[in-house]
Amino acid sequence: MVATVTSVAQVGIEPRAVRVETHIGPPKPQFTLVGLPDTAVREARERVRAAMVSSGYAFPERRVTVNLAPADLPKAGSAYDLPIALGVLAADGTVPPGAARVVALGELALDGSVRRARGAIGAAVVASRLGLPCLVAPEGAAEASRVPGVDLRPVRTLAEAVSVALGETAPVAVPTRPVSTDPLPDLADVRGQPIARRALEIAAAGGHHLFLYGPPGTGKTMLARRLPGLLPRSQPSEELEIAAIWSAADRPLGEDRPFRSPHHSISLAGLVGGGSGVPSPGEISLAHHGVLFLDELGEFPAHLLDALRQPIEEGVVVIARRGISVRFPTRVQVVAASNPCPCGFFGDRRQPCQCTAAAAQRYRRRISGPLLDRFDLRVAVPRSEHLDLTASPGEPSVKVAARVAAAREHQEKRGSLNRDLERKVLDDQPMEPAAMRMLTGAVERLGLSGRGYDRVRRVARTVADLAGREGIVEADIGEALFLRGSL
Amino acid sequence: MSGVELIERGRSGYPPALEEIPDAPERLYVRGRLPERPCVAVVGSRSATRYGLGLARAFGRALAEAGWPVASGLARGVDGAAHEAVSMAGGIGVAVLGCGPDLMYPPEHTGLAARLVGDGGAVVTEFPPGSRPEPWRFPLRNRIISGLSSVVVVVEASVDGGALITARRALEQGREVFAVPGDVDRSTAAGANLLIRDGAWPVLGPADLVESVARVMGPPPTPPQAARQGTAAVDPLLANLGISGATIDELCVGFGLEAEVVMQRLARLEAAGLVAISDGLVTMA
Repeated sequence: MVATVTSVAQVGIEPRAVRVETHIGPPKPQFTLVGLPDTAVREARERVRAAMVSSGYAFPERRVTVNLAPADLPKAGSAYDLPIALGVLAADGTVPPGAARVVALGELALDGSVRRARGAIGAAVVASRLGLPCLVAPEGAAEASRVPGVDLRPVRTLAEAVSVALGETAPVAVPTRPVSTDPLPDLADVRGQPIARRALEIAAAGGHHLFLYGPPGTGKTMLARRLPGLLPRSQPSEELEIAAIWSAADRPLGEDRPFRSPHHSISLAGLVGGGSGVPSPGEISLAHHGVLFLDELGEFPAHLLDALRQPIEEGVVVIARRGISVRFPTRVQVVAASNPCPCGFFGDRRQPCQCTAAAAQRYRRRISGPLLDRFDLRVAVPRSEHLDLTASPGEPSVKVAARVAAAREHQEKRGSLNRDLERKVLDDQPMEPAAMRMLTGAVERLGLSGRGYDRVRRVARTVADLAGREGIVEADIGEALFLRGSL
Repeated sequence: MSGVELIERGRSGYPPALEEIPDAPERLYVRGRLPERPCVAVVGSRSATRYGLGLARAFGRALAEAGWPVASGLARGVDGAAHEAVSMAGGIGVAVLGCGPDLMYPPEHTGLAARLVGDGGAVVTEFPPGSRPEPWRFPLRNRIISGLSSVVVVVEASVDGGALITARRALEQGREVFAVPGDVDRSTAAGANLLIRDGAWPVLGPADLVESVARVMGPPPTPPQAARQGTAAVDPLLANLGISGATIDELCVGFGLEAEVVMQRLARLEAAGLVAISDGLVTMA
């Protein structure tokens, strides 16, 4: 007798259907698992046997062969326990064959209960594609419920899985996704800092990468953390991608717009993805559709900064492994922060900089490398004097977010965020003569490069969008020139 | 290196002021033209604060506009800022090096040195071509800075810095030493304050400096112009910049203006060449 249960393997965040084929042979107690399983999958034999017995089923005293197909797809983890158990039961005739007509994913505990396994979203995607019910542990069901059109049936035990698969009992309700009760940090908390606030608003509106540099204690981190709260809520399609990545990384999903702040001591695999076995998404993918914050940019080793460049540019990272290459999406908005020099006091009004000139230059060269070229906004946040820190709270995030949303509507008509505007499109943007004069004047006076020229035009486009202006005026160029920084 | 002229002591072209000092160098390697009249030296710390750099710029400009040549050591910090301001004001600047005339230290001031020479000033050293900028050369170099000058102004200096060496040599050479008083609890002001306690003339600002220098060196070669066009009339933002400049946030708060308005106005002022903006700091150009 043969039974086939469908399960899923993740290639990157892309789910691939895996057929769990079970064959019950002659009466000779043996349990063989084939089809490129890793160690955790091979250990399923012991868990499945114990879980079946604990659930009141007899494990067949026959030759049991389980094949995970396609055989060339590497399979990892304990997620195949549940489909294997269902397959054995159906193939042995212990339960009706209908119990195998499901997509199932879950680890089995020795007492027969079903545990969460990574990739529940992938299982839901496959199930919805094949029109089969999707059986996962209740903990994984919340994230899987984002997939449109899926017949999701959370199951708590193996026995429950059998009866739910056969439609004999109704599954437990899908748990609602826990809504984060911590409000996002609000811009109202930031006192003063008019320039940095304005830069943050422009960054949010145009999706521009933002670089903040200034001495310690000028609120760079505080500002960066407030960017997610200014961005529009993610679309359902974006949410699904975010959830798929987090599921592939086996992490519980957090806020609406992810905010990731990797430390500069992070490994290459931790930052861009990889790791041993099946590649995991890195921090840059966990920040997909959200914000990647690189604090102390000057402390990040050069090879990490180099590795970030392409994913930031292309929105995807490809990790090649023997026999398989996986893609993780990496559409992130980057905020980077840095001191102006190693000691942090370069340019301070009262405190002399203690750095040797060579060290300060090395530091500047490292932060102003090719990665920084991708940053449209580079804003100095110097320490200001005599600013009244007891001043009334700043404008709250919700008001700024409303302006950001309006500015993004203008961009949607053009088809892309201003961050991604090509030179051709920039050339077509209407610009009043005075604005053009100021821009050409800046090219001569400041020695603006071609890339710098485009950066200024992109930011000016966003400033105009925020003001609801069709054409770019002199004031927009002036502000954009200002926010391009002097690095 | 092209354009380097060797001038020996006692020959024409050797600065008369330098002839007077006891250990005058036997030969000078000069690029550009050494001024005949004595200079005013502006010296100070390499690790200067924003305030110190602002003062150095203000002094450099005031002296250049009055027509006195300005000498300094082309070092990072105060020296460089003073030279920079002299060059911007179109004055005569003399940079005294602590290395051979074919080298440039610090290297980032190569362009500045070329501008000084181009504007009718000079780069000068007693060290022959190929001499590397070794630490022992700089105290020797300092005696030439003071030797070329009638007045040495110490802007911002710690008690163990090179600027104080220049001041001591200046006193030995019978030059006037001026110093800018500062907070008594700041290491960056300690050197200048010490000089004032020991008899240096306190300088209270760019205009005061010009007056005090005139008492030593006679009236300014360039009669004072009508004050530069009332810049505050152009934009009141300019009135608030002061000596050490202001951050944009300070201007926003000080004037109660929105960030975008201040940025737009400053961009126009920068385009008109009235202010310089660097790392979020706005200073008079």
